[in-house]
Amino acid sequence: MKSLALFPILLLCCAPLYAAGGEKSEALPPGAGIEKDPQYPQVVSYTLKNGLKLLILEKTFVPTVSFTMMFKVGNVDGQQGKTGLAHLFEHMAFKGTKTINSAGYDKEKVALEAVEKAAQALIAAETETSPDPKKTEELRGKLADEEKEADKLIVKDEYWKLYSTLGESGMNAMTSTDYTGYVVSLPSNRLEAWMIIESDRFKNAVLREFYRERSVVMEERRMGESDPNRLLWETLFSNAFVAHPYHNPTIGWMDDLTRLTRTDADKFFKTFYVPNNATLAIVGDVRPAEAIKLAEKYFGSWERRELPERNYTKEPPQKSEKIINVFFKAKPAMRIGFHNPGMANPDIYALLMASEVLSNGKTGRFYKNLVEGKELALYANSAHSTPGDRYPSLFVIAAAPKAPHTLEELDGAIMSEIDTLKKEPPTQWELDKILNNYQADMIKQLESNPGLGMSLAHNEGILGDWRYDWKTGAELSKVKPEDVSRAAAKYLTRDNRTVVFLREPLEQEQSGKP
Amino acid sequence: MTLLSAATLFALPPVLPRLDAVNFKPPAGDRVTLDNGMVVYLMKDATLPVVHITAFIKTGKMNDPVEKIGLGEMTAGLLKDGGTLKYKPEEIDKTLEFLAAQVESSIGNEEARADMTSLKKDLDTVLDIYAEVLMHPSFEEDKVKLKRDETLEMIRRRNDDPGREAVREAIRAFYGPAHPYGWRTEEATVNAVTIEDMKAYHQNYYKPNNIILAVAGDFGSNDEILAKLKARFGAWAKGEVKFPVIPPVSIKGARQVYFINKDIAQAFIVVLQKGVKRLDPVEYPLTVANEMLGGGLSSRLASEIRSRKGLAYTVYSYFAKKPDYGYIIGYCGTKPETYSQALSEMLKQFSVMAAEQAPAEEVTRAKDSLVNSFVFKFPTPFELITERASYEYYGYPGDYLDNYVENIAKVNPAEVLATAGKLFKPENSLIFVIGNSAKFDKPLTEFGPVTELKED
Repeated sequence: MKSLALFPILLLCCAPLYAAGGEKSEALPPGAGIEKDPQYPQVVSYTLKNGLKLLILEKTFVPTVSFTMMFKVGNVDGQQGKTGLAHLFEHMAFKGTKTINSAGYDKEKVALEAVEKAAQALIAAETETSPDPKKTEELRGKLADEEKEADKLIVKDEYWKLYSTLGESGMNAMTSTDYTGYVVSLPSNRLEAWMIIESDRFKNAVLREFYRERSVVMEERRMGESDPNRLLWETLFSNAFVAHPYHNPTIGWMDDLTRLTRTDADKFFKTFYVPNNATLAIVGDVRPAEAIKLAEKYFGSWERRELPERNYTKEPPQKSEKIINVFFKAKPAMRIGFHNPGMANPDIYALLMASEVLSNGKTGRFYKNLVEGKELALYANSAHSTPGDRYPSLFVIAAAPKAPHTLEELDGAIMSEIDTLKKEPPTQWELDKILNNYQADMIKQLESNPGLGMSLAHNEGILGDWRYDWKTGAELSKVKPEDVSRAAAKYLTRDNRTVVFLREPLEQEQSGKP
Repeated sequence: MTLLSAATLFALPPVLPRLDAVNFKPPAGDRVTLDNGMVVYLMKDATLPVVHITAFIKTGKMNDPVEKIGLGEMTAGLLKDGGTLKYKPEEIDKTLEFLAAQVESSIGNEEARADMTSLKKDLDTVLDIYAEVLMHPSFEEDKVKLKRDETLEMIRRRNDDPGREAVREAIRAFYGPAHPYGWRTEEATVNAVTIEDMKAYHQNYYKPNNIILAVAGDFGSNDEILAKLKARFGAWAKGEVKFPVIPPVSIKGARQVYFINKDIAQAFIVVLQKGVKRLDPVEYPLTVANEMLGGGLSSRLASEIRSRKGLAYTVYSYFAKKPDYGYIIGYCGTKPETYSQALSEMLKQFSVMAAEQAPAEEVTRAKDSLVNSFVFKFPTPFELITERASYEYYGYPGDYLDNYVENIAKVNPAEVLATAGKLFKPENSLIFVIGNSAKFDKPLTEFGPVTELKED
């Protein structure tokens, strides 16, 4: 097969891309390894004694360097009743440390404890079966007073200001069901400054201004509630999963948010933000030996702690088709989810192929037959593993009809495309096209430092090997046309699917709404 | 040029190492003009076996005839999708997708673009298609129908996302729905576009002397890629391009409040004020002022409305330059019960910027942020050369990019105050709110005369 021969295309890029940097001759410390297999980029791997994994790739065009600190902790790891905690903690990680954002931590600590006491009293009063409005108002006032006291000991936004001065780009963080990642790019002569600030951040985070940030997150949730797209996804996951925590939205249920406390977040931080749960990728104008030396110096004293076991309730097999109608003031759209067997199951590659056969480009079957052809759809896309990769998740389809066509017509046509795929294996041309695109993506992903950093850290931290994408390419090339049909027949079935239809509200219901 | 990174060590914890300046002089690349007037920017980059091209075609949605708004968008959207004289649409899609190559064209208010990405080994094939798409589109009838239907469906869906709706409708109210800076495509104007119109539009604007090309990647030598480009574009005849006269903008400049009632979880608030014309050097102090006001999470708007008061997740400001007066925008999403608190704070922060000189330390930090992150304008050679081409496209002086950092570094607190004082006039701003008025904490009339609009 042609595509197999094409894989080594990756070799072409390696030599000039990674040979840069005059100081590279500096010897790597014992324990550090540089990737020698020419089918992969020359990533240097190193693990600190406390378990922090480093992945370093030297690339030079401009003097910049991109950092990704990836923690294997996501919304699945919040306990029952505490959904949204992983994400809220991510916001809190921008609030400083004992020395950053603080005008004196000894005094501030006392003030923060007073805030926490007031907040917990308020939450307790609000959670009563019939809350007393006078009492809650009083406690709300008390919390505001304590916050005002604590404010006096804060240096506002100092963490952000530091990074502004350093010249950051793309400073951000992201939380998913599976992971929490912290990213920033800096001019390359800020390497040591980054090491100093971030080691302090993850060793000594202080969760000040917690209840205000919780309000920010509630606004983020409301923003999502105003967006039909987010509403569709949330409805799909919460209906497709009934037992496994992929059921819960990463932003959290509003009711849980109202009861999360700083004590919860502190406990979460101490449990999961440990070096043996973290992967750090550094990509750009950086000397690996220097980065390792600095990481040892600043992150070496970060204390390793045992992680809790994380076997959550397995999702039982779905045995009936679920159809959900959501009424919302937006034009119709739909999402379908079929349970997949998880990333460790070899069928996943055939499912990935099935997804690509259906929706890769204008020659993909959905576009060719549903957008063109029958002209039913405005769009129709698919993906083989959503919302996460750590546990079995969903093969999803996202589509919207083009007026005057209806959701029912579109759903029928999508299912009929899937039936065709089950009966007629894809052509070799279709598979070769997909392999070509996969290989080209592997090359293009090397263009962006932050993008590549994210991919290395995610693949190592969550999927267990930074080479995951490249290895997947090799697995895909082994998938035969009949494997694709077989996987479609096995997983893309009616009793394994959940469908969410977003419909415009009916006129009479709309006017009667409170 | 040494980039000035002011040594603001006093703002940093004492443990941080001394911060050196960021020394980066963006490479110039090469600029060549073909005989037919096509300008080509080149930057060789052999690190990956990929070639990228983008073309800037001088036109934009604002050049559409008023009764055919959407003409430019449909033309650009069909350059490739509608096939060419030499290639059927299906042939183009099959070839490009099998080679994992991309050819896409699009249009914004002031620029049309056509982008190409190809693996080095396929460059000749892909370049053939790219050149055909630019020069000889054929606008096949069934593809035109498909594109028109899709455009109409997008019009039907334009209010699905209330945040985007708020910004679009605010700008429309600000310039007036009849002015090209404010108008939007409508069912009737899209239906009025004919294949002949698109052919004539293409004939007028897509000419070599109206195009700037930016090329980067592993294309061999400049001579090699120029030979390839000349072989494809060399015989394309230059010609006169007719541009419509864009009427001058007229901005009311008095407080007005526009409102759409919608039962959604957040209220979306837009505050618009008259901005600046492109190429006005006031952009330097204004850039610094905006960075301080609403440029990031430590800016005043985010600090007060988000971090201190917990009223919003999204809050920011920016300014848009245009050939005629652009705009300065403030944006926020908050629950309807707190909309007036958030809006009042936004207006207040604009006023404070205009009335009080900012501490030198804050101005320095904003400048450092802009100067030290300048290098991120060009993460790849392609992005660098595209940036250079875009400055020529928009009429900036040739050394604009090279002097940008110095021009920012020169800004002082007095200039920031003078600029904010001249431009930030929230008392004259247009306010646009979409949200559920039954839950508002104050009536909108407290902010000025209200015009209620129906969503359409």
